[in-house]
Amino acid sequence: MSTIPDPDIDVPFDETPAADCPYCGRPFDTERARDLHVGRAHEAEATEREIVAYDEATEAERDELFFYHVKVVVALGVIYSVLVIVYMAALGSGFL
Amino acid sequence: MRRTAPLRGLLVAVGVALLAEPALAHVGGLSGTADSTIPTWLTIGTGGVIIGASFLFTSLLTDHEGIRMVNGWHLHATVPESLRTTVTWAGRGLGVAVLALVVASGLFGPNRSSPGIFSAEESFAIMVVWVGWWAGYIMSVYLVGNTWPLLNPFRALAALVPRIRDRAFPERLGAWPAVGGLLALVWIEVVSPVASAPRVLAATILGYTAVTLVGAATYGAATWFDRVDPIARALRLYGRMAPIQRTGDGIALTLPTTALVDHRLREEPGATAFVVALLWVTTYDGLVATPAWEAAMTPLLDAAGGATVPILGDDASYLLALLVYVVAILAGFVLFYYAYRYAARKARDTAGSYVEADYIARYFAPALLPIAAGYHIAHFLGYLIRLSPALLGALPYPLSVPPDPTVLTVPGWFGTLQVLLVLLGHVLAIWVAHSRSFDLFPGIFKPIRSQYAVTVAMIFYTMASLWVVIQPFGAPPGV
Repeated sequence: MSTIPDPDIDVPFDETPAADCPYCGRPFDTERARDLHVGRAHEAEATEREIVAYDEATEAERDELFFYHVKVVVALGVIYSVLVIVYMAALGSGFL
Repeated sequence: MRRTAPLRGLLVAVGVALLAEPALAHVGGLSGTADSTIPTWLTIGTGGVIIGASFLFTSLLTDHEGIRMVNGWHLHATVPESLRTTVTWAGRGLGVAVLALVVASGLFGPNRSSPGIFSAEESFAIMVVWVGWWAGYIMSVYLVGNTWPLLNPFRALAALVPRIRDRAFPERLGAWPAVGGLLALVWIEVVSPVASAPRVLAATILGYTAVTLVGAATYGAATWFDRVDPIARALRLYGRMAPIQRTGDGIALTLPTTALVDHRLREEPGATAFVVALLWVTTYDGLVATPAWEAAMTPLLDAAGGATVPILGDDASYLLALLVYVVAILAGFVLFYYAYRYAARKARDTAGSYVEADYIARYFAPALLPIAAGYHIAHFLGYLIRLSPALLGALPYPLSVPPDPTVLTVPGWFGTLQVLLVLLGHVLAIWVAHSRSFDLFPGIFKPIRSQYAVTVAMIFYTMASLWVVIQPFGAPPGV
């Protein structure tokens, strides 16, 4: 399993990509996306600066990911509780 | 069974149209869920919620390396070429022998015009093909491994037929002939008594063999079975889900569905369409068995009942029924196909990616296969278990009536099991798609966001299929 090397690209004519990969030319809509791509897909050929950019992008994502995961866990907890209550109502009193 | 209904139109309409015997033989739903304390809407709603929750849960799993390790785990064994060849020829020989027995049984064994009351369980042909192969064998393909290349009798027969023409397969058609073939086969299975009338079954098999042999003689056996034959293609796809996979020099044991994570569909037109068609036909098979479908069809056919079509002189309602089933299978396929492509376009938008929508659609299509397998096993496991003693009882009697075919009664909790299997198929699909998304999109957020649209589609699809699966299969009216 490795990063897909050459997916078919389609850039809408009225958009300009924010950044392109210097190795494979793949366009991205943010520089962070490009940095993440270069660091993983072109790890062997990446320059010092690109590796640093990759590390920074990964760190930034990791921070955002923490908050995202908190929201996901809360959502799962709420779903679980609602489901339990609904089943209690359906199986218990039968009015639902 | 003696019929007293006077209108031949209504009779034929019932017999053919409302999937009467063909789909009844393929019990799509539960015969009245034993435990009805949980209202239907709640079961269906819970299914949808579980799919959404599993997506949320997988979004917590973002460690690329961990995911890769789980998906990549395997044990490998080399198989010497000589052993492979021997097993292949033995297997195909067995396949041809079984095929010959099935055809012989269909043509000369017990059938509907035999004296006495005929039941499908008495026919070797029907039991072997529908219980043994369609239900049981196909389950083994996605649960254990694709053994069809080892057993395919049509492949063996095609090897005996010389190439009469040297036509090259037109590349621009790609997988579309296979799509057409798959839809056609399932349509035939639904509208004809191919699952209850042994002679019809034998005739259909002979027809399919003829088409296959002509195709193999024209385009070459390898090309035919690789590109055109819908059965070989479907089983090959199902096989990619299985724990046992064939490798270059042997076999590998993997975790179920993890081999799908790496699988790339061949870049040909219609490759995605075939996967979607495979999903659609399993849903269609169940849908036409529902009372809701029956309720929708009956007034339509009643309106045409009794009338005859000029020139053809055939029953208008019978032809109308055939037409409705064709339109339904095509319309449903088109709906599913465009819904999936729409989801792929949405995935491109939410992920903020410049990858082509078509590419995304084809890239994630293999993730849909566990869904098809989940429905297949949910629909047919009960059928298989119920009729397995009848299958075993019919095996020694290809040409005569076996003594007292028995059927098992499926326990009441089977309904719940079927619901769980449908859900399991969807959850596995979410896992495969999640794993694959990390290889196409950079970082962690883009892959997660790319899954939103497909997850929403899957929630609705799950609820629709649960609705189909938990319905009691309706008895055809007038029978």
